[in-house]
Amino acid sequence: MRTTFQEELDQLEVTLQEEGALVLRALRGAINALEQRDHELADEVIAFDDDVDERYIRIEEGIQLLLARQTPVASDLRLVLAILHVNLHLERMADYCVTIAKLSKLVPEVDPGPRFVEGFEEMGSRCEEMIRIALDSFGNRDLEGAESLVDLDELVDRANRRVVQRILELGEDPEMREYGLRMVIVSRALERIGDHAVDIGEQTAYLLTAEFREFTDASHPTPREA
Amino acid sequence: MSGSFTMPRVIDVAQARRESGPVQREVVFEVQGLTVNYGRATTAVSDVDLEIYRNLITAVIGPSGCGKSTFIRCLNRMNDLVPGAKIEGRILYHGDDLYASGVDPVEVRRRIGMVFQKANPFPKSIYDNVAWGPRVLGMKKNVDERVENALRSAALWEEVKDRLKKNALSLSGGQQQRLCIARAIAIEPEVLLLDEPASALDPIATSAIEDLMHELKRDYTLVIVTHNMQQAARVADLTAFFSLEVDDHRRTGVLVEYDATDKIFTNPSDKRTEDYVTGRFG
Repeated sequence: MRTTFQEELDQLEVTLQEEGALVLRALRGAINALEQRDHELADEVIAFDDDVDERYIRIEEGIQLLLARQTPVASDLRLVLAILHVNLHLERMADYCVTIAKLSKLVPEVDPGPRFVEGFEEMGSRCEEMIRIALDSFGNRDLEGAESLVDLDELVDRANRRVVQRILELGEDPEMREYGLRMVIVSRALERIGDHAVDIGEQTAYLLTAEFREFTDASHPTPREA
Repeated sequence: MSGSFTMPRVIDVAQARRESGPVQREVVFEVQGLTVNYGRATTAVSDVDLEIYRNLITAVIGPSGCGKSTFIRCLNRMNDLVPGAKIEGRILYHGDDLYASGVDPVEVRRRIGMVFQKANPFPKSIYDNVAWGPRVLGMKKNVDERVENALRSAALWEEVKDRLKKNALSLSGGQQQRLCIARAIAIEPEVLLLDEPASALDPIATSAIEDLMHELKRDYTLVIVTHNMQQAARVADLTAFFSLEVDDHRRTGVLVEYDATDKIFTNPSDKRTEDYVTGRFG
């Protein structure tokens, strides 16, 4: 029954879910820091990245040992490879949260109106939902849930486009332009977090079907995407 | 630095045990400059120094003829029984020289049990196989309980409890091997030496033996010789890699590297180890 191997594999998944929970906290912290212009909270989010990195490295090391010592095959091998990828996606999401937190400290004291806060709140909430679904569908081996991430990502992408449009309408004031420049990057970071959640869904699909495929393909869009 | 000899020995098995720092382990065997010759022509192992630690699984791996079985047999003086075997160097067991005059090899083998490649139950009942050792050694109280405990520890009780009087040879190969482990632990040894314990078994029986080893190390110190590298990778905390050196047509077994199994299989220090574990040699 290879008890030790199974325990090690289970432990990797537990750590991965822990890492996911930390990313969710980092994202909420980054959005709040941005909306409330709370520099102290932004610093906490930046420092908090170490906690995510600790899990990331622990999983990397665990996978290295599992591959070297247990030679997993079939569904076990797919699970190990999927964890390897999901781990990287989560770590990148956390890095984007740090980017948002850093940018939130750099914005000039201007008032661009409530629309931006609303826009980022919408994107942030949608990203949180996507991360939860990505983690749950991975943990529950739920292909349908994983595939639903594509439609949710489309909503984040649309919100991103709306934010960019609002930035273009900010006008000529240098401080407003600086604000806009920073917010383009924030919006892009949130949009990328959504993409990484979809990538986690693709890993769930790989785990369940053994097929390597992307849910969407920018170079060969379906008619609806085009 | 003075006084270091009284310090507990330290080996870093942190990776293997997911522990955060170096771990202090009690040394069970301290092997110093061990050289074993068979007659004048063959040096089975030369100048081996290593320590074996309590409640860990130590694997000995290496190509055929590298002296790994010779090495493990020195740990309970089984080589005494081999004509022409000449042993130099020292093996300290809890600090006492195993080969000092006055040491009774039978007592050594009681404390340091051994399980061999081929399961070798006596052609007697399952019960008698396990009860024999305790009876011979005068452990006559609660023999039934002792037999049950040993069979439970060997993860065999559930499979045989209703047929203890059946002949042991009626068991499958994997069950026979676990019976031999039960027989070895019935006399309460401290150390179990396992010489290729699963090489004659199918993958399922092998897996059962490997799971059993993980259970047994709570109570025993285990040393396993295996030519199945993956088995060493799966079960061992520490791994010793032996190899062969050929000089003037004389082949000599040497200890190349001894470290945490994680290290041996992810980043060995010696190129010869790297070549062996990656399948480029041996």
